[in-house]
Amino acid sequence: MFIIFKLELFKLRKKLRAWLGPILVFLLITISFPLTIELASDDLKNVFYSVLWIASLLTVMVSVEGIFLEDYEDGTLENFSVTNDSLFSMVLMKIFIYWLLIGIPISLLGTFFSISMSGQMSSLNVALPAMLISTYIFINLFSLGNSLSLNKGSVLGALITMPLLFPILILLGKIVLNANFGFEIYNLLLLMLGVLLLIIVFIPFIISFIIRTHLE
Amino acid sequence: MFNFAFNSFNDFIYMDGHGIYVWSVFCIVIVSVISMFMFYKNELKKLKKKHFYE
Amino acid sequence: MLKKLYHQFASPKTYIVLVNKMYPYVFYISLCIYTVALIWGLAFAPADYLQGNSFRIMYLHVPASFLSQSLYLAMAIAAAVFLIWKVKLAAYMIKAIAPIGALVTFIALISGSIWGIPTWGTWWQWDARITSTLILFIMYLGLISLHSSFTNFEKADKFISVLVLIGFVNIPIIKKSVDWWSTLHQPASITLTDKPSIDPSMLYPLFFSMIGFSGLIICLVILSSKVQIFNREASKSWVKDNV
Repeated sequence: MFIIFKLELFKLRKKLRAWLGPILVFLLITISFPLTIELASDDLKNVFYSVLWIASLLTVMVSVEGIFLEDYEDGTLENFSVTNDSLFSMVLMKIFIYWLLIGIPISLLGTFFSISMSGQMSSLNVALPAMLISTYIFINLFSLGNSLSLNKGSVLGALITMPLLFPILILLGKIVLNANFGFEIYNLLLLMLGVLLLIIVFIPFIISFIIRTHLE
Repeated sequence: MFNFAFNSFNDFIYMDGHGIYVWSVFCIVIVSVISMFMFYKNELKKLKKKHFYE
Repeated sequence: MLKKLYHQFASPKTYIVLVNKMYPYVFYISLCIYTVALIWGLAFAPADYLQGNSFRIMYLHVPASFLSQSLYLAMAIAAAVFLIWKVKLAAYMIKAIAPIGALVTFIALISGSIWGIPTWGTWWQWDARITSTLILFIMYLGLISLHSSFTNFEKADKFISVLVLIGFVNIPIIKKSVDWWSTLHQPASITLTDKPSIDPSMLYPLFFSMIGFSGLIICLVILSSKVQIFNREASKSWVKDNV
């Protein structure tokens, strides 16, 4: 398993624009949002969390587009599915690497922005765990969508699985609501963590089934 | 239980102002269900023609 | 003996013969029940003291929303049967139910939002149950578009069954969201355990209307599945005799 981890890390680190690009997109959205609205209004502080999460959603959608495409076209996926019998761990590692190189930087940047927007350090323990968990969930779901439309290369698959995101977005919205009113958010964060753990186990399994069906 | 709940037929259509909503929903439901039935019967007829003349 | 029984039911030919015999009865009986229920509900049930006469949309909205969830459940069972036992008839049923599920969810959404105008003052609200029903509608449309974007039908069947099973997580959210969060949509008045909180003179037309509407939608599903089976098994010899 560790060998596959190093292999995937090497593959993604080389493609600089694959992981630096989405981080810059996220920076662009979060910087341009306060610029286009009056800077010092009170509403901005309440709305800023939602902007962070929509920005991370869009960034992940853009960045995960080519997650399986190159490997499908040059035959690595076929190789893995035929010889190694661990397509599951390859997909798991791939998604994990994408989260390490894209999801974590986005979460750190988003937390930094939320601290600077609200002016107090307490937004650290709202924004950071929520963004870490939600970016991982988004990467999982969008890679599921992209694996459905693997040979066509279109975004049809991602659009089809986008409705599955809505429960996560509802949860994130409740986190915003509770954070603004000063209620406890830890129960909702734990719920999201539970969803994440379920998803980590099941999604690579489903994706490997879909990829095997594609390669028949 | 079985008395007519309205005083006249005009009252039935108007329903104290709520008539537009009720009758518009009613029309949408009936039209869509009937059009689906006709669509599928049409498809079956086309298939029947295709297999009969084979 | 049991194996012979369900091997028989897994064949499309037995299904078509059975369905051809049943169809006229189901259609006419459910049409009668539905007409009776609608006339009873629209004309004879007493007016609600809070909502006035617009509660009569309930007789059109409740069967549609109940059916949209039940049709998705049926699709999920068919998807599981297809993935585990590789019964092809199950895959045909998924493809057959999807457009009709989309129609019924559309009816539920439209009737719900038109009902909301006099009662809540707004025709849309982003609360949990309404948004989840919208997600259900989009999932039905996504299923139809996913299947038709593939030329190889066996692959398309597998993908569509995976997608149905993944999207199944939405159904408990719809059913239970009015209990978990207090939102705009009213909680269920009819449960399995308690006495219903709705007056009997309004309840009986509701039951009959649910039965009648389900029967009509089952007739649509039967017609749609016949179209699917004849399209997909066009090369078999029994098709010519039974079509």
